[in-house]
Amino acid sequence: MDGKAATRRGVLQAGAAAATAPAWLLAGKAPAYAQAAKPFAGTTLNISCWASPYARFIGEYLPEFTEATGIRVTYDTPGFPIYNQRADLELSTKGSAYDVLNITFIFTSRWIGAGWFTPLDEFLNDRNRTPADWDFADFLEGSVRPMKDRQGRIYGAPWVADVLCGGSGRFDVLRQQGLGMPDTFAELERAMAAIHMKDDIPAFIVENHYGWVFIPFLQGFGGNVFRNPPDDLFPTLDSAEAVEAAEFLAKLLRQYGPPQAIGYNVDQTTLAFRTGRVNYQVNNHAFLVPASEPGSRVRGTANFSLIPAGPKGRFPGIASHAWGIPVGSRRKPAAWEFIKWSLSKELMNRMVNEKGYAAVTRASILNAPGFRERTMVNGFDMTQLYIDTLALAAQGHMRYRTVHVYPQANAQITQALERIISGQMGARESLRQAQQNTIQDLRRAGIRF
Amino acid sequence: MLGLAPALIVLAAITIAPAGYLFLTSLTPLNLTMPGTAWDFSGPHYNYLDLWEDERFLRSAWFQAHLSVATVALQLLGGLGAALLLNRDTPIRRFGRSALLVPMVLPPIAVGILWRVMYTVDISPFHRFMAWIGLPVPPLTTDPDFALWAIVLVDSWEWFPFTMLLVLAALQMIPESPIEAARIDGANGWQMFRYVLFPYIAPTLVVCALFRLIDSIKAFPLIYVLTSGGPGDATTVTNYYAFVQAFNFSLWGYASAIATLMVATIFVISWIIDRLGGNSDGRHD
Repeated sequence: MDGKAATRRGVLQAGAAAATAPAWLLAGKAPAYAQAAKPFAGTTLNISCWASPYARFIGEYLPEFTEATGIRVTYDTPGFPIYNQRADLELSTKGSAYDVLNITFIFTSRWIGAGWFTPLDEFLNDRNRTPADWDFADFLEGSVRPMKDRQGRIYGAPWVADVLCGGSGRFDVLRQQGLGMPDTFAELERAMAAIHMKDDIPAFIVENHYGWVFIPFLQGFGGNVFRNPPDDLFPTLDSAEAVEAAEFLAKLLRQYGPPQAIGYNVDQTTLAFRTGRVNYQVNNHAFLVPASEPGSRVRGTANFSLIPAGPKGRFPGIASHAWGIPVGSRRKPAAWEFIKWSLSKELMNRMVNEKGYAAVTRASILNAPGFRERTMVNGFDMTQLYIDTLALAAQGHMRYRTVHVYPQANAQITQALERIISGQMGARESLRQAQQNTIQDLRRAGIRF
Repeated sequence: MLGLAPALIVLAAITIAPAGYLFLTSLTPLNLTMPGTAWDFSGPHYNYLDLWEDERFLRSAWFQAHLSVATVALQLLGGLGAALLLNRDTPIRRFGRSALLVPMVLPPIAVGILWRVMYTVDISPFHRFMAWIGLPVPPLTTDPDFALWAIVLVDSWEWFPFTMLLVLAALQMIPESPIEAARIDGANGWQMFRYVLFPYIAPTLVVCALFRLIDSIKAFPLIYVLTSGGPGDATTVTNYYAFVQAFNFSLWGYASAIATLMVATIFVISWIIDRLGGNSDGRHD
């Protein structure tokens, strides 16, 4: 209904408003004269994203969007797995319940390939809808690439390019042992052994989404999830390298982790870092940066590094997530207004300045003078860490993740690691089971080997 | 017969039609990312054949059996014990009856959250207390040996009042005369229970077992909140496995086959218990 109301006159008015007053719209604040030009006033958008620092900040700025456009927003940010299940089901029905949804990296191939999102090209290429200075080309190419289909159509506008890094909340404890930030797996193991339970703090934790955090270890030892993704999707979860990697990570968690280490989801891991309850972790850049926020107990002691390298190299997890418009949405023009606002240079700059947000996807902001200073944490240059990690994407090691059947492998990897870490099974046996199960699940999903 | 038609139509619309659709779906390889699979009946038996070769499904059925037997047994014992204790009309017991009903009326998610806190070592008052008295308890939900029992404990805590309530009602329906007669004959407590009370409440216990057994097969919220089926697949019971196949992998045809099998199992169990209930019903007539 709103979509219909917004056609022709509404869109023309929106285009005119955007063309003549992009600055106020994008900045989220409307001058008095612009109040009358709110073509989508009265529209209510339903928007959902998984809980992340960016999603939290957007929630805090939303009243400004409503004030500027007259668009009301129903906004929810469930946890990552819950969001994905809900979005997957909602998208599969091609329903109209949501107008803007996050396109989760792991689901890009599946959701975009199934035609569940609207191509954004018609919005991006229409100067009435998108002023030139909004500048889509400014988004980091690596973060946009997974949001395209084979024809090059764009389905998502990326709000985060996140990378896995190493972080020590109590680097002072490492220092006391004469150690620096671990740069290799061998150094990591030595460091964890040296600092475990110093000051009563367990040494090591990673979130229990092992389908994400285990892969850098797997690839570091020379293994991979599939034989040659995306062309050859035969799983290789029971390789000797995989067994070695699983034993390595399991040892770190069992010997140097807190009790119930396999129960730590990303929220608990992040909280443990901020409160100094676990010393070292491999976590997303976006979740490590809040260590500098008020209330953090590690503001003065935190330090960071690239994810440690294994014998075969350094393979940090790199993922981008993007806003997209579900194909069933009946309020697409208004949804596009939200996406433009939430990813505008002005709002992203404000997020950097006011919230310390660092995992930005716009090159102009990353390269802006003063950005580095604003995203320093305890004297550490988080921007350089971000850039250096993103540069490692050129190795192409993330290709395993954007194939449409990765969710199946992801579930098996997570379960296999849980079995190993909890002592339920040995690494070889557990990974062999994961391999068999993945083959079975992939066959069921229509993959022929 | 014509007069029953509206009721039969409503019945067909609200129960038989969805069940029929579920069964039809189970005969297809429906995958939501592949719309062409929706009405593909080229291999109607594939999903069912696949189930017997799927070790994870068979293991989930085994975990389901463990969970069901343990929770029903604990709930019957706990509910029966509580009912016998509270089978007197004193103010304290009246208060006890009301207080013990609280777990049953809590929303399952609230129960899950409550016990998630109780099972989280860092913040759990239970774990802290046990550590304080020198008997530290290992993390229960992340230990494969304890995880299923942790679910059993919570499910039993939540639902034993159901048995308690029904058994209490049955106890209060027992006439005074056989109890008086047994007392005069010098029956001790156990004899009173075994030979006088139990025959009266046995049919009620069968009904409780039936209801709780069916409900245990539907166990989902506690597992979702407390363990997500883990560690590994230690708490992946059958309906959680179906949920994963449908909602994580979009394999709705396969998940429907699992669901159909579960519905059939519930029917069979209900029929068996109903037969047993019918037999026990006649014992003290």
